[in-house]
Order: sequence, then structure tokens, then C-alpha cells
Amino acid sequence: MPLVQWLGQSAVAQAIHNSSWLFPFIEIFHLLALGLLGGSVILVDLRFFGLGMKSKDLPELARDVQPWFRLSLAVMLASGFLLFMSEAVKMYTNEAFQFKMLFLALAIIFTFAVHPRFTRAPGPSLAGKMAALISMALWACVGLGGRAIGFV
Amino acid sequence: MEWLANTPTSVYIRESLWGYPIIETVHVLGLCLFLGFTMLLDLRLLGVAMKRTPASEVCRRLEPWMVGGFVVMIASGVLLFYGDPAKFYGSIFMRIKFGMLILAGLNVLIFKMGTYRKVGDWDVREKTPAGAKIAAGLSLVLWFGIVAAGRAIAYFLPPS
Repeated sequence: MPLVQWLGQSAVAQAIHNSSWLFPFIEIFHLLALGLLGGSVILVDLRFFGLGMKSKDLPELARDVQPWFRLSLAVMLASGFLLFMSEAVKMYTNEAFQFKMLFLALAIIFTFAVHPRFTRAPGPSLAGKMAALISMALWACVGLGGRAIGFV
Repeated sequence: MEWLANTPTSVYIRESLWGYPIIETVHVLGLCLFLGFTMLLDLRLLGVAMKRTPASEVCRRLEPWMVGGFVVMIASGVLLFYGDPAKFYGSIFMRIKFGMLILAGLNVLIFKMGTYRKVGDWDVREKTPAGAKIAAGLSLVLWFGIVAAGRAIAYFLPPS
């Protein structure tokens, strides 16, 4: 909590907080990166079901999309951190924010530790389809939590 | 606009607790599908993403999903507008967003009728022609502007 308070009082946080346009300006980048992140996740996960980029095999598609997923995640985390800072104390106790952070952690762990085992597998499998559904559901929960922050 | 604002559905969207958040969530989920795929396609046309896949292949496979995502975005966007038409109609950013949407549509049309007609000539090449790069660059700039205007609508509403 002291760390959160310190973050919220930092010069950067105060500048965003006191500006009428910086918060929405950072949100633009958060949303564009959301598009790319969501699009990358959906494109790879659809392939598990033989949908979307069906002419490419899954390992190749996953490899091609990965740099764009990582770039968008980096932009999301950076812009998200700035948005969080400007309202740090309020966010810290916001239940939707806590929900979002929980699912963000789960989604990142799943994407980097579990998901690659299935994208590298040669043929389609039931377990792979399950992994694709879990991946999309976890990221959707992060998005839903984010949407809910402003409403609780 | 006032007539539209007084229709029962409009009043319902405006006054219900869950109306706006639910429609906005659908709008944002549609954004992942539509904008995400648009960006991936633009990146392919710029020659930086999915370089080993023919451009026409990426276009053809992504298109049905982009159309689906676009329908979701337009439908949810119209509902958001419909929830408070009098307020949104007066917003300058609403007009800017709409103008840029039309430009983005024209950009796709011009690309499809021009450079894309001869896609066979450059399909498998890593280096894409200038026409494809210009269309992709314009698309990315316009969508940045559309997202920016969308954010501005919510933050700088005219006094009602």
C-alpha cells in the first residue's frame, strides 16, 4: 500500500491525473494494442479449430504472430501501468481492477507456460482445442474486468 | 434527434444500469476481432507480418471474420449512439469519427479496385508494391484517428 500511494503521488501520476487529455490519450494506445493483442490471440486460437488461416499449419502461424502479440502486450502493460498510476490508490481497492489483475496474471502464465506446448504440436487434438478456449476465455476476462473498472 | 431520444429503447439504454456497460463491452470485443485482424492484414500488406504467406491468402482468410467483427462494431456503435442521440449528435468528435470511417471505407474500395486486382503479380513476394503499402499505412493512420475520436467523444461531450 505505501508503494501504491507513492506511485499515485509521483510526478508522472499527478501529471496524468491533473491533465484533461493525457488519460484518454494513453487510452488510445491501450485500445489499439488491445486490438492487436486480441486479434493475435483469436487468430492463433481459431486455428486450433481449423478456422481462419487454415492454409498455414499451427506452429508456423503461432511463430509468425508471436512478435506482434509480444509487442502489443508490452504496449498494453506500459500504457496500462500509466493509467493505473494516475488513479493508483482508487484502482488498488477497485474490485474490478483486482479481478482484472488476477486474470491478467493467469492469462500471461497460461500463454507463456502452457499454450506453446499445444501450438507446437503437429496435429489437431482435443487438448489443444481446450487450451485455445481457455486462452480466449482468460483474455476475455481481462478485457471484461477492464471494462468493469469504470462502472463499479 | 429528440424523437429518437424519446423512443422507449433509447430511454431504456440510457437509464438502465447495465445497458451501456454491456453494449460497450460488445463494442470492445468486436474491436479485438475487427481492428486486430485489420492491423494484422495491414502489417502483411506493409510486408512486415506473416511474410511467408501470400497476401491474397491472408486477405481471403481474414475477410469473413473482419466482416463479422465490423457488423458487431457497427451494430453496437449504433446502439451506443441511439442511447443518447441528442448528446452524441452535437459532438464534433462523433462527426470526425464518422468522416474517418467513410475515408477508411473508400481506402479499402480504392485498394480493392486498384492494386489488389493485380495481386497475382506480387502475392508471394516479400516486398509489396507501393499501392499496397500506401493503402495499409492509410488504414493504420485512419484507425488510429477513429479510436482517438471515439475516446474523445466520451471525454469531451458537449454540455446537454
